[in-house]
Amino acid sequence: MSAVVESRRHDADARSLEVMVALVRRSLLRVRRMPSAFIPSLIMPVFQLVAFSGAFGAAVRLLGIDPMNWYMPLNAIQGASFGALGVSFGLLNDMETGFFDRVLMAPARRSVIVFGSYAAAIARSVVPVTFVILVSFLGGLHTPGGPVAIAMVIVASVMVALSACGLALGLTFRMRNMGAATLTQFAIFFGIFLSTSQVPLSEMSGWLRACARVNPMTNILRFARQGFLGDITWAQTWGGLVAMVALLFVSTVFALTGLRRYDR
Amino acid sequence: MTSSPIVARELVRHFGTGDNIVKAVDGVDLEVRTGEIFGLLGPNGAGKSTIVRMLTTLLKPTAGSAHVAGFDVVKEADKVRRSIGVALQDAAIDPLMTGRELLNLQAVLYGLSKSAGRDRGDELLERVGLTAAAERRVGTYSGGMRRRLDLALSLVHEPTVLFLDEPTTGLDPMSRLTLWEEVRRLNQSGTTVLLTTQYLEEADQLADRIAIVDHGRIVRAGVPRDLKARVGSPTLFVSVDQSHVESARSTLSRFGELRPSAEGTLGVGLARGAEDVAAVVRAFDEAGIKVRHLELNEPSLDDVFAEATGHRLEGAQ
Repeated sequence: MSAVVESRRHDADARSLEVMVALVRRSLLRVRRMPSAFIPSLIMPVFQLVAFSGAFGAAVRLLGIDPMNWYMPLNAIQGASFGALGVSFGLLNDMETGFFDRVLMAPARRSVIVFGSYAAAIARSVVPVTFVILVSFLGGLHTPGGPVAIAMVIVASVMVALSACGLALGLTFRMRNMGAATLTQFAIFFGIFLSTSQVPLSEMSGWLRACARVNPMTNILRFARQGFLGDITWAQTWGGLVAMVALLFVSTVFALTGLRRYDR
Repeated sequence: MTSSPIVARELVRHFGTGDNIVKAVDGVDLEVRTGEIFGLLGPNGAGKSTIVRMLTTLLKPTAGSAHVAGFDVVKEADKVRRSIGVALQDAAIDPLMTGRELLNLQAVLYGLSKSAGRDRGDELLERVGLTAAAERRVGTYSGGMRRRLDLALSLVHEPTVLFLDEPTTGLDPMSRLTLWEEVRRLNQSGTTVLLTTQYLEEADQLADRIAIVDHGRIVRAGVPRDLKARVGSPTLFVSVDQSHVESARSTLSRFGELRPSAEGTLGVGLARGAEDVAAVVRAFDEAGIKVRHLELNEPSLDDVFAEATGHRLEGAQ
């Protein structure tokens, strides 16, 4: 590769990064100026944490599991996903107002639109996850797996949030209406509730158990929960890693192909 | 290849599939010369915006080709985007951001450094008279201010070709004049401008050359003065009672060809111009037709439009 081509590529990469940072800033600015659109994604997971660990916690308590430790990773992941969904709502709004055309007309790489949205999704999802973790500590959360357990729940939350964001973007590029966000919420709910979200796999039976066994969310929850239920082991880690990477890969391809289709 | 900044050949854009195909643009040939203001004039739904969206790389043509600033709009879309400024039909502005924040964002999108973007933003805010409102959220701006900001945003990277899609639709007369002045200033500084409009006066006042678009095709193109001259005679518009419409039509047809006119009005191209007006009035009098309103208009772009399409431009001004 010639030096000129190499330097041009570096220029383009630098510019893409700047554009990504600018898009994230704008997304956060919108959160600050219209907090009412973000607050539900902050409150809901905490509400569910309190409700689940309090009202439904008896089921897992019978198995000798602390309900707060069982439900916190679930609600952190759920909160992160819905926080990230705000990015696709923003995209839809931009399409309706025509602002998205302005971004499309910029001489930056098209993929920046997807990866800029991902960066914004990370920023938006970390806030509810942090909030859930703080509240759960106040509610008696303990971490047999140490600080790594906290890191793992954050990783799982962010990875699922990015996958949700990719799915939402892909649907939004294809459908160009609110139906995309509704379908994504539907998919997140199904993904979560047809897994081991409420009780361990050993306590499930029938079709629900069959679904939970093949649901990648089961592996991700196992990955995120292990440090709160006991020691962290590779056996409980690798399945979650594979599931997260696979989900993110598929949803990113879905988002990028959706953008290409939109761009015709 | 031609050196004109905008060239389109047999440009086609269809929407839908099968029996539901809509031919939004149906074989458009266009050439805009360096340094001119070119107007695409036509009613809503004529295909003007679709042409602009193809030329600005937002839509891929179904067939045909187009070059903007010397680059192919499909194969070299990125280079086209670097060379053009675009203000689309609805000022695409985030109401939650301030004018300055939007200019800074636009500067980043076009690869300007932070300091260059800030300086350029200040210069453009001053130019469009929005310095005092720069820190206000755009949601609080009036329609005219939003349009001026949109224009400023399209100029951040100093484009050589500027596309303005219905830049003054919905603006009050004062804001419209201000925007016209700014477009003229830009053009005088060397920017080639392609604007779409449904306002006859705008096309007449601003454009060096125009193309009349109807049903996805260019039906007339040229210098407004030449196009009007080609229509020839002035048009006499007459309003009569509903009961006398048919006899009035027959009377008028003796003085020249009948021309399309607004509902409730009859139009005739007077072969001998103003000289015929007195004779028309006498003929109506003799036929016992009461005239409610009578108006003689020199050939306008509306006449050109009517002559080319068989109907008047909706909302013509």
